[in-house]
Amino acid sequence: MKLIDALEALKDEPQSQSPVLDVDLACGFTPLHLLTFLNAHLRREFPNHKISIRTGIFGDLLGYLEVLERERPAVTVAVIEWADLDPRLGIRRLGGWETRQMFDIAENVRDHATKLADSLERISRANLVVLALPTLPFPPIAFTPGWQSSSFENDVREILAHLASRLAKSRNIRVISSQRLDRISPPGSRFDVKAEISTGFPYKISHADALAGLLSRIIRDPLPKKGLITDLDDTLWKGILGEVNVEGIAWDLDHHAQKHGLYQQLLASLAETGVLIAVASKNDPFLVEDAFRKAKLMLPRSRIFPIEANWGPKSTSVYKILRAWNLGADSVVFVDDNSLELAEVKAAHAEIECLRFPRDDDEAAYQFLETLRDLFGKQCVSPEDEIRLQSIEASQVIAEASQSDGHAREHFLQEIGGRLTLSFSKNTRDPRPLELLNKTNQFNLNGKRHTEVAWRNYLNDPEVFLLLASYEDKFGSLGKIAVMAGRCEGNKLSVEYWVMSCRAFSRRIEYGCLLHIFQKSGAEAASFDFAPTSRNTAIQSFFADLMGAAPPARSSISKQQFFDKCPPLYLEIQEHCDERQEQATHEVLFCGLPRAQ
Amino acid sequence: MNDKSKRLTRCFSAVFPELNERRIASASPKTVAAWDSIATVTLVSLIDEEFGIEVEPEAFDRLVSFTSILSYVEELTASLR
Repeated sequence: MKLIDALEALKDEPQSQSPVLDVDLACGFTPLHLLTFLNAHLRREFPNHKISIRTGIFGDLLGYLEVLERERPAVTVAVIEWADLDPRLGIRRLGGWETRQMFDIAENVRDHATKLADSLERISRANLVVLALPTLPFPPIAFTPGWQSSSFENDVREILAHLASRLAKSRNIRVISSQRLDRISPPGSRFDVKAEISTGFPYKISHADALAGLLSRIIRDPLPKKGLITDLDDTLWKGILGEVNVEGIAWDLDHHAQKHGLYQQLLASLAETGVLIAVASKNDPFLVEDAFRKAKLMLPRSRIFPIEANWGPKSTSVYKILRAWNLGADSVVFVDDNSLELAEVKAAHAEIECLRFPRDDDEAAYQFLETLRDLFGKQCVSPEDEIRLQSIEASQVIAEASQSDGHAREHFLQEIGGRLTLSFSKNTRDPRPLELLNKTNQFNLNGKRHTEVAWRNYLNDPEVFLLLASYEDKFGSLGKIAVMAGRCEGNKLSVEYWVMSCRAFSRRIEYGCLLHIFQKSGAEAASFDFAPTSRNTAIQSFFADLMGAAPPARSSISKQQFFDKCPPLYLEIQEHCDERQEQATHEVLFCGLPRAQ
Repeated sequence: MNDKSKRLTRCFSAVFPELNERRIASASPKTVAAWDSIATVTLVSLIDEEFGIEVEPEAFDRLVSFTSILSYVEELTASLR
């Protein structure tokens, strides 16, 4: 983005009713064009929001962070440069670069780094913090020539590495990847010495643009894709299975097929973090099963569901896989080495992301792996991610049973022993409710999405209740699968948000939630802030079953109406109210490495 | 209006969106309340970007109106030819 484009983008004011995204930009230098670019990029990332950016006092990063610790909930963007760690590491102050001062500078950097980390951690208890660590070149202080790394510079960089490592483990702190920044903004072309000396703004325009772009993206945190459908021949492995048989396929260095091995390795890693992996291949299904049984692939057969191996169009296989997963095409990536197959799938499923596997180009294959990591990257791995595949497979069994005749269906539901656990704890540190709200499409009351700050503000309203439902049955646990939020005023329940994961369909969990909340609240009627979307057909069907038709916005149902229409429930419903245990169960499985005690 | 004048007008319009073309032509820190030191720095950066030139900090004192900036840009681009 050019500076003039950024300024022109700021001319278009969003509508006055738009929600506001409050951002505090904390940096020690005059923010100038970084502020302009950040504003413009945030508008691009959040087109339906008004962006409000506040900046602090020039030259006092720590002081401004202390102010933010006490102030409003907002996203904090902290951009740290060398001079913020010790003014002698900048070029606007003349504090001396003599050898005898290096120890003092390093100690000062250590002290400032600790204070910054403490302050940012305190801010992150209530707010999202986004952090960029020094992006400018290290000044020529040490007595060694510039092509040699000095022990002083290494000591200072080590302090910064510790700072980054410590802060990246915090749930609410996101650190900009220096590797990604290096790629889009070459380190040698970032520092604008003339501007730093004359105005106090140290960045070249292009660097300000690149950094602001990354900061904005990390704030938005795009929703990760949920599933990947892969071709087999010349994609998951090298070779055409039907021609070379199991013995002839390869994915290693010896057979010049390493890129296929790396691809398998990445898919196994994605599967471990809850990404669904399926196969759509024009192949003999028996041969494919044979290959997975005999060949020791990096991606085991148990991580793949389903495998659609047949001679029909790939778009049909993709359709079957999407049905088995109960996912929309926009949540899924399709990978094939054949452009024609990609085009055929894209024509049938316009929203699917189609990527060509670059079988003849190692460089492009490596880039392709990075693209996949970006598409599926997430902030943390939750218990729900761990059990997703298992619960999808169980869901298919249940969905098939629910298609059967009435008696068989009732018997089946009775026999699976469903247990629904409901929690009313408004634990703002648990990312799962917001994740569900922002990812769920089919059973979603109105399709409204929230930023983390807005969601936390909403939950902080004492009038608001939050119901978080977990489910398990004899097929295993589904984890936390539904969220309902709203208010209870007198004998009227007002439901403002209600989502349920598609993995939980066909078990009457939605009825169980509503039943329990009617009983718990004593409300005589419930109103729903319903809005039809192009995707929320599941909740529309639910309301149609309950009310006889898809409801208008803000529709209501009486308790009696609900009880009259509620089908038999075979769920054991229990309320979870042990706060300590609640905290423990909300722990994510993996969010950076565990901190050393 | 020549090409340089048009491009400079666009730069001014980006920094001072409330000004129309007529007011831009007569703009100076005296006639435009929003023309402060930050606006000057932003204008200079835009001019660098738009005309592919580097405005020296020493020249800032000369850049006190639309017309003076236009002549400065014309001078500098002519010397680069």
